[in-house]
Amino acid sequence: MSNNANGLNLRFLRSWEGLLTLILVIVVLLNIRLSPFFLHGDNLINLFGVSIEKIIVALTMTFIIINGEIDLSVASVMGLAASFMAWLTDKGMAFPTALLFGLLIGLVCGLINGFLIAYLELPSLVVTLAGLIAYRGVARILLEDRSFTGIPPWYNDLGTQPFLGPLPLALVIFFVLFAVAIVVLHFSAFGRYVFVIGNNKDAARMSGVQVRRIKMMLFIASSLVAALAGLLYVSRLGAVRASIAEGFELDIITIVLLGGVSIFGGTGTLVGVGLSILLILSLRNGMSLAGVTGNTQNSIIGLILILSVLIPNLAQQANQTWKRREYVSRPKEQSITRESLP
Amino acid sequence: MSISSTPRRPALRLERLRELSLVIIIFAVLFFFGTQVESYFNPRFFRTVTTGVMIIVVVVVGETLVMLTRNIDLSVGSIVGFTAYVVGRMVADNNSLDPVILILLAIGLGALLGLINGLLVSYGRIPAIVVTLGTLALYRGILVEFSGAKSVTTATLPNWINELGQINLFSLGPLDFRVLIVPAIVVVILFQLVLSFLPYGRRLYAIGSNPEAARFAGMPARRIVMIAYVLCGALSGLAGFMFLARFGNLTVVAAQGLELQVVAAAVVGGVSTLGGSGTMIGALLGAVLIEVIGDSLIRLRISEFWKDASLGLFILLAVASDKVIVGRVRDLALRNRRRAEVIPSQVPPSPAVQEGSAHVQ
Amino acid sequence: MNAARLTLEMRGISKRFDATQALDNVSLQLYAGEVHTLLGENGAGKSTLIKIMTGVHPPDQGEILLDGQPIRIENTAQAQLHGIAAIYQEPMTFPDLNVAENIFISHQGRGGLVNWRNMYRDAEAILTKLGVKMDVHRQARGLTLAAQQTVEIAKAISLKVRVLIMDEPTASLSAHEVLQLFNLVKTLREQGVAILFISHRMDEVFQISERITIFRDGKLISSAPAAQVTPQSAIRDMVGREMGSFFVKDKGERGKLLLSVKNLAKEGVFSNINFEIYQGEVLGFAGLVGAGRTDVALALFGATPATSGEIIFDGQPVTIRTPHQATQLGIAYVTEDRRGQGLVMPMSIAANMSLPMLRRYLNPLGLIRRGEERKTAEDYRKQLSIRAESIRLQANKLSGGNQQKVVLGKWLNTNPRLLILDEPTRGIDVGAKAEIHSIINRLAQQGMAIMLISSDLPEVLAMSDRLLVMREGRQMGIFNRENATQENIITSAMGRANEPETALA
Repeated sequence: MSNNANGLNLRFLRSWEGLLTLILVIVVLLNIRLSPFFLHGDNLINLFGVSIEKIIVALTMTFIIINGEIDLSVASVMGLAASFMAWLTDKGMAFPTALLFGLLIGLVCGLINGFLIAYLELPSLVVTLAGLIAYRGVARILLEDRSFTGIPPWYNDLGTQPFLGPLPLALVIFFVLFAVAIVVLHFSAFGRYVFVIGNNKDAARMSGVQVRRIKMMLFIASSLVAALAGLLYVSRLGAVRASIAEGFELDIITIVLLGGVSIFGGTGTLVGVGLSILLILSLRNGMSLAGVTGNTQNSIIGLILILSVLIPNLAQQANQTWKRREYVSRPKEQSITRESLP
Repeated sequence: MSISSTPRRPALRLERLRELSLVIIIFAVLFFFGTQVESYFNPRFFRTVTTGVMIIVVVVVGETLVMLTRNIDLSVGSIVGFTAYVVGRMVADNNSLDPVILILLAIGLGALLGLINGLLVSYGRIPAIVVTLGTLALYRGILVEFSGAKSVTTATLPNWINELGQINLFSLGPLDFRVLIVPAIVVVILFQLVLSFLPYGRRLYAIGSNPEAARFAGMPARRIVMIAYVLCGALSGLAGFMFLARFGNLTVVAAQGLELQVVAAAVVGGVSTLGGSGTMIGALLGAVLIEVIGDSLIRLRISEFWKDASLGLFILLAVASDKVIVGRVRDLALRNRRRAEVIPSQVPPSPAVQEGSAHVQ
Repeated sequence: MNAARLTLEMRGISKRFDATQALDNVSLQLYAGEVHTLLGENGAGKSTLIKIMTGVHPPDQGEILLDGQPIRIENTAQAQLHGIAAIYQEPMTFPDLNVAENIFISHQGRGGLVNWRNMYRDAEAILTKLGVKMDVHRQARGLTLAAQQTVEIAKAISLKVRVLIMDEPTASLSAHEVLQLFNLVKTLREQGVAILFISHRMDEVFQISERITIFRDGKLISSAPAAQVTPQSAIRDMVGREMGSFFVKDKGERGKLLLSVKNLAKEGVFSNINFEIYQGEVLGFAGLVGAGRTDVALALFGATPATSGEIIFDGQPVTIRTPHQATQLGIAYVTEDRRGQGLVMPMSIAANMSLPMLRRYLNPLGLIRRGEERKTAEDYRKQLSIRAESIRLQANKLSGGNQQKVVLGKWLNTNPRLLILDEPTRGIDVGAKAEIHSIINRLAQQGMAIMLISSDLPEVLAMSDRLLVMREGRQMGIFNRENATQENIITSAMGRANEPETALA
C-alpha cells in the first residue's frame, strides 16, 4: 500500500501495521468481554460518532506530518470557525450563510499559516503554535465567555440523526474523505510530492517540484478541513462556546503518529492511520465502558503516544546492543547498525 | 594568508542586537500606551507586570535551556500545575511543614517529571515534541486522578504561604518589589552565568548548533540534553511553588496553557527553535514584553480577550522579523566576506594543474 | 624521514558488514612527521579504516598500537584522548560558537569555568603558530570551508594531536586554498604529527606524501615511499588494470544557437556574464571554487535567480524564477550536491528518476502509472549501466558513481535541451568517471547543449568545445579549444602574478 517507494520502511511499516492490527484485535476482544453489544452497529456508529471531528482532521494531519511539518493550530481553527459562525448568526446573518463564512475563516487561517510556512519559510511548529494561541484568542474576542445556543433544529438534527442509512452526516463525510485521501496520498502525483518533500525538500525543489505551492495547499486543506470539522462538531453539540474543541490537537497528532507516520516526515501510510483510528476509538470506548474518566483517558492517550515511538526505538536499540555483544564472540556476523552508518 | 577575516571584533553580536531591540521595543510600547492611557504609569501597573511576569520568567529560563539543544518542552504547564497542586495539598494537610522542605519538595518533584521527559528524549530517542505533548496530557491526567476533583484553597493553607505573595521586599519610591521577584531574578542571573561561563552552558549551544559535530567532538550529548530537561523540570517545580504562593486557590487545571506563554516568551526573546542561539536575558525581555502588552491592552479598556490573540501575533512578528531582518543582515555579511575570501593573495604554483595530468596520460 | 619514530600501527585489521568484507587483514604504519597517503577507489575500505581509527566502528579482528602499546578505541572521545583526530571534507564546526570556542570545544566539560580571555589568547597563539590570521571572536557561521578546516586543524593541535587523519580535505577547496592547507600540513609535519591523508587528486598526493598505500576491495595492494610510485603505477594498483588515455570529446557539429546570456548579474555574487551555447556543444566552465560558476548555473536554473541581465532561450527572452520554470523550458541541472539536492535518498531509483517529469506518468485521473515509471527507470538502468540489482532499490544503497548516474538519468528523462552538469565526476572513482565522460560525449553528439562546470582542469579541457573562465564572480574570457591550454586557463582563473596581498574587511 505504501507509495513512498521506500523498501526498507515498507518492511517496518508492514510489521507496524501488523502490530496495530494485533493490538486492535486484543482491544476489541476485551471490549466484547466488557460489553456484548460492542460490535453492534449502533455501538460502532456511536464509537465513531463521539470522536468523528478529530478523526476527520487526522486525515489532513497525516499529509502535513508526512510532508515534514506539523499543524498545532487545527483545534483552534475548529473553535474559530464555530465561534465565527455563531457570532455572525448572533449578529443576524442567515444561518447557512454564516456556515459558509465559518468555512471561509478556515480558509483564511490556512492562507495565513501556509503563507508564513511556505513562502516566508518560518518553522511550522512556531507558526502553528502562534496560530493555536491567536485563532483561539480571536474566538474569545468574538464570543467572550458567552454560550451561543441559537442553532436551528435542522442543523442539530444533522449532527445527531442518521443521514445516509444509519450513518450520520459527519461519518459519511469521513468515509468519503478517507477514500479520497488514500487515493491522493498513495496513488497521485500530489501524494508523491508530499512524500518527496518530506524526505528531502531541497532535492524536491531542485527537481522542479513546486514545494511552496504544495505546502501552501496542504495548510489550506488542513485549516479548511478543521473548519468543516468544527462546524460539524457544532451540529452534534447544539451549542458553541469559545473553548469548543480545545486541546483536540493532542488526540489528532497522537492518532497520526500511532499510525506509524514519522514525525520527521517522509514515511507513513493512511492504512496505518486508519488502524490507529480504530484502535484509539475502541480503546476510548472500552475505557468508558470500564468507567475510566475523560481526563484519565487523555493521559492514557498521552502515554500511548510516547510508547508508540518508544517501543520500536527500544527494540531497535536492544537489537543493536545484542548484535554488538554477539560480534565479540562471533566476529563474522556483525551487521550494519544504525550508528555505524555515516 | 587570506583565510583571515576581520581582525577587529565584530561591533555588535546578533544576540546583543536582539536584546537591544527588545529593550527599545519595550520602551516604545510603554511610551505608546503612556500617551493612550491616562495615568498609565502608576505603581499598581508596575506591580501587575512584575508579579505577572515572575512565574513565567522562572519557567522560560528552563525552557531556554531545553530549546538551546534544539529540543522543546511543551509539558511545563502541566509540571507547574502538578507541583503547585501536589505541594499545596501536602502543606494543606500538614500546616506545620517546613517552608524550606516544601520548596525543595516542589523543585524535586518538578525535577523528577523533567527527568522522565529527559530520559524519553535523550535515551528513548523520541522526538521532543512527541514526548512533551504526551507528558503534557499524562502529567495533567495523573494530577486529575490524584486530586479526586478537590481543590486547594487559601483557607487550608498556612498563613506564611498566603502572605508570601503579598510581602514587599523593598520599595523604590512608590514602586513595590514583591519578595517573589527574588527567585525570578536570581534564576535569570544564575543561568545566564551558567550559559556564559560553565562548560555545560557552552555545550548546550554546541549541541543545538551542530548535533553531529557534537557527537564527533566526543560530547556526552544525551546526558547534556537529559540534564537540560531535569533543570527545566526543577525550575518549573520552583515556579509551581511560586504559583501556589501567588494564587493560593488551585484547581486541577492550574497553569493550564502556561507552556504556550513560555514558548512564546522564549521565541519573542530570540531563543531559536532550531537550537544554538538565545540568551536568558533575551528570554527575560521577551517575557516582560509580552506581559507589558497583555497588561496594557487591559488598561486600554479593550476586552481582556484580546490578550491571547495579540500573543499569537507577537510570536509571528518575532520569528518573521528574525527571519527577514537578521537573515538579511547575515546574508549581506556573508556575501561581503565571501567576496573577500576568494581573492587569492598571490599566485600559487597551482599544483592542481601544472603537474595535474595524472588522469590524462 | 625514514628514521622517524613509529607512532601508530594497525595490525591485521579486518572488518565485515553483512556480505561485504570492508577490510581484509590490513596493516598500516604511521610515522611521526610523515604524511602517509591512502589511495583507493570508492568502496576500497579507506573510510572504514578511518572509522576504526576514530572509534566509530570496532574492528572484527586485529589490533591498534600506539607507541608500541596496544590500545582500545571505543568512541571518538577515547580516540581524542589517544591524540587521534580526523578532519573531513565537510568540516565539523559549530556555526553558533565563535572560532576560539570551536578550537577548544573538546577541552570544555573538564570542570571549572570558561576563561574567555585565556581561551581567546590561546586560540590566537595556536593560529599564529599555524601562520594564520583569523578573528577568534567571530562566529563560525559563514566561514568558508577552507577557514573551517583551519579551525579544525587548530582544534586538533589544541588536543595535542599525534595522529591526524585528513579525509579528502581538499575536495571542495580552490587551488589557492589547497596550497594554504598544505602549508599547514607541512607545519604539522615539522611538529612531528603523523598524518594520514586521503585524496582523489593524484597530483596533490605526489606533492605532499612521503609514503603511499593503495587499497583495493578492502585489501592492501601496495605500500611504498612516494618516490617509488608513479601516477601510472598508482592508478594501476587502484583499478587493477592499466588505464587507457583520458577521454577526449569528439569534435561534433555545432547546431543552432540555443541559449544566449547577456550581462547576467546577481548582486554581490557575479556580474556581467555573457555567453552563448549552441546545440551539440559542450561549454566548459573553469575557475577556482567560489569563482561563481555554480551561482551562474543556479541562476539559469532559477534556484537563486539573477538580479539583472537577459537570458534568451531558443530565440525567446525568458525570466527564470524557479527550477520548475527552468524544467518547463527544457533546462536540466545535475547538482554538485548529490546527497543534499540531487536525490531523495530513501526513495527508490524509479521514483527518483520520474520525479521531474511525473506529469508524464499520470493517467487521466491524475494517478501515477507505476508500470510506465518502472519501464523508464529500467531503460536508463541499462542505458547508463547503473549497477543496481533492481530499480526498486533505495538510492542511498548505491555507490557514489551509480548515484550520479541516477541523477543524470533523472534529468535525461526530461529530454532537456540544455543540460547543466556541475562537478559531475567529483568524488567518483576512475571507472565511473570514464563512463560519465562517454555519456557526455554521446549526448553532445545527439545535439544536446551542455554546460560543464568542473574544477578538474584536465577533464574540463578534454571535454569542452569552448571554455569560459570565471574569477571572483567575473567572466575572464572564453577560450576556443585551440587556444585553451592549461597555462592560459590558469592565468586567467587566478589573475596576474604578484598581485599585492589584499587587506580583507
